[in-house]
Amino acid sequence: MMSSQLKGMNIAGMGVVFTGGRGLASLDTSLRQGFAPPQMSKSTALKGSIPAYRVPEHILKDKSVLKGFRRADRFCRMAVLAAWDAVQDSGVIFEAGSSSLGIIMASALGPHSTTFGFLDNVIDYGDNNVSPKLFSHSVHNTATFYIAKVLDSRGPCTTLTQFAFSFHEALIAAEAWLAEGRCDYVLVGGVDETHTVMEHISAQKLRIANDGRIRQFDFSETPIAAPGEGAVFFLVTRQPTDKPHCRFASASTFDTKEIAKRPDIRMVDADGMAGSESPYRGLDWRDVYAAGYSPIFGSTMIGTGFHCAAAALMLKGQLRYACPIKDNPHGLRLCERTEPASIERIECVRFNCLGKKASVVLTR
Amino acid sequence: MLDLNLMNVAITGLGAISAAGGNLSETLETFGLGKRNAAPVSLFPTSLKHPSFEVQKIPEEWNRGGSRTLQLALCATNEALEDAGIKGDVSSLRVGVCFGTTAASQLNDVDFYRAYRETGTLRMDSVDRFLKGNLAEVVAHTFDLHGPAAVVVNACTSGADAIGMALSWLRNDVCDVAVAGGSDELNLIALSGFASLGILSESLCAPYDRNRKGLNLGEGAGVLVLESEAVYSARGAKPKRYLMGYGSSSDAYHLTAPRPDGTGLESALRTALNEANIKPDDVSFVNAHGTATLDNDKIEGAVFTKVFGKGTKFLSTKGFTGHTLGAAGGLEAVFTTAALDVGWIPASAGFNCQDEEIGISPVSERTPIAGRYAVSTSLAFGGNNSALVIASAE
Repeated sequence: MMSSQLKGMNIAGMGVVFTGGRGLASLDTSLRQGFAPPQMSKSTALKGSIPAYRVPEHILKDKSVLKGFRRADRFCRMAVLAAWDAVQDSGVIFEAGSSSLGIIMASALGPHSTTFGFLDNVIDYGDNNVSPKLFSHSVHNTATFYIAKVLDSRGPCTTLTQFAFSFHEALIAAEAWLAEGRCDYVLVGGVDETHTVMEHISAQKLRIANDGRIRQFDFSETPIAAPGEGAVFFLVTRQPTDKPHCRFASASTFDTKEIAKRPDIRMVDADGMAGSESPYRGLDWRDVYAAGYSPIFGSTMIGTGFHCAAAALMLKGQLRYACPIKDNPHGLRLCERTEPASIERIECVRFNCLGKKASVVLTR
Repeated sequence: MLDLNLMNVAITGLGAISAAGGNLSETLETFGLGKRNAAPVSLFPTSLKHPSFEVQKIPEEWNRGGSRTLQLALCATNEALEDAGIKGDVSSLRVGVCFGTTAASQLNDVDFYRAYRETGTLRMDSVDRFLKGNLAEVVAHTFDLHGPAAVVVNACTSGADAIGMALSWLRNDVCDVAVAGGSDELNLIALSGFASLGILSESLCAPYDRNRKGLNLGEGAGVLVLESEAVYSARGAKPKRYLMGYGSSSDAYHLTAPRPDGTGLESALRTALNEANIKPDDVSFVNAHGTATLDNDKIEGAVFTKVFGKGTKFLSTKGFTGHTLGAAGGLEAVFTTAALDVGWIPASAGFNCQDEEIGISPVSERTPIAGRYAVSTSLAFGGNNSALVIASAE
């Protein structure tokens, strides 16, 4: 972390749920296959449809992991499955009731489909006849409850929300917890969902890529987006691990001068969600490969989490995935083909709507 | 691992706004007088007539088009920064902002949604208020603070956990100063939701009382300014109090009910005491979560007896503020610190008769306190438990 005592952490395991499936094999397959047009989400209010990278419902019907979680909504099910898979991927076994695992989840918008369901209740049945189940599930930290429950984890647990940088803040918090000895491992990740209301808001507030093709290297002042959703979790630790994917070397949400050691690849989380993307033009692109994979999982405020998962696969597999959309008006050195490569360091960069930069650096 | 004993974090500023007062001074006066400013909700139309604790007045200067939750946060932050003596003078420092909330994290505007359902149109003023209303980002922007910014949404432990997060930042040198606490407004969503759970009292709440009937909702904001001791000392000042420890745990038991054996809360408490490097006997009083629900008070009472013994002094300030949800941990940390400053704690408002099932009673009158250390506890939906240890200087 910039100007701090935090020195990085190992990624022992990862789990993802996204429009292309569940698990690292699905992510690898989607990254290799490249762009696939998203579903069109129909809305009577919109009087039409917009592209949305939604997670297919069948992916969320795991009767083993989600057994006993009949009441959990989509948001929670995405979170639980990605978190569970990250632990399974690591091979680390946590004893029931252990407090050695912390959980930190980031979300920009939280379980808003359940929130709107609760508002339906208020409007339809009156404020004295609403569903307690909908109310309790509309709280942001419901997902971390389900994760703690499925793992019977009694360690610290927190949920952070912010529109652009919540995943970055979650990483900083995870490393701080490890440094303080609050826990030996942290499950850190992000979850966000789409919903017709938010898609409608997106259609009003953003320029939508009607073909789903998010052009990440246009660096336009009026960029285009295609809403996405999903969950991504990392099991991180300071301890040595048998087969770590790679390391989170640093994360910062402020004071992000160009990092001293240049990355081999810079991933841009320019997905049309945060207004003008012109600040990406100001980065030093000399001798750096540019990459961006938002068209694999859609535009989402936790996109950096998915980019970090892609980066981890690239570092571990020592390969570059071809960018799914290769429009390149600024002549960057794009990752154009999926091919073996020697990669030591990948930086994931995101700017918010105020033009502030946040970055995450992953190393082998 | 960090040596936490080498990382002193000073509490240098306090700010509070709630039904008990528009600032900390007014609040302490209310506590001393035992006044309980509750009434049926007046902020919005509702069929629910439960007593609630509304903030009487938010100074107009904080109404900048944002949510009521944001206005409360700005008001308390301003007081805390002025108290710390660093308002407008922090450009050379990395100042983090960490807030806990529930209401400000959601687009839960009934009028907005009703209009959307009925006409298919979006009221963009509501959308913009939500999208431009992230507490930490707006507080940082308003007071020109540059550092990490995070909003913690852990239901009713949000405020305490935000303070714990800020403590972690300071210990790890992520920032030099942190503004941390919680803020929440009273709104229809929380009111109808808690009513649906059957835990709202139709009379004034009575934490720990044998005849308690549930909680009253409230609103407010409580903010601490935290500084690494080195940074504070460099300003030529000597800290008067410290944030010594923070513990957090998950029950992994039930979404809306605490683990019956209280082991989650006990774990959070013992972690916080260990971080502070003190024994339970060193604690002069506990500012309890004390919501006045049957389950919460019973479990907290059992854990206090187990950890601190039967003679411990404790209270709930929710009889003065109502349950302010995401603000509660922030407000109660401020009250705990202020009590160490003034040397007394108020009567636990609403308490009259001991509950034999709990077996211990909160203080029933204004009570002097001696000793350096105090604890504030918070519990939440989702099974979160948190504890803070606060100390006055030797």
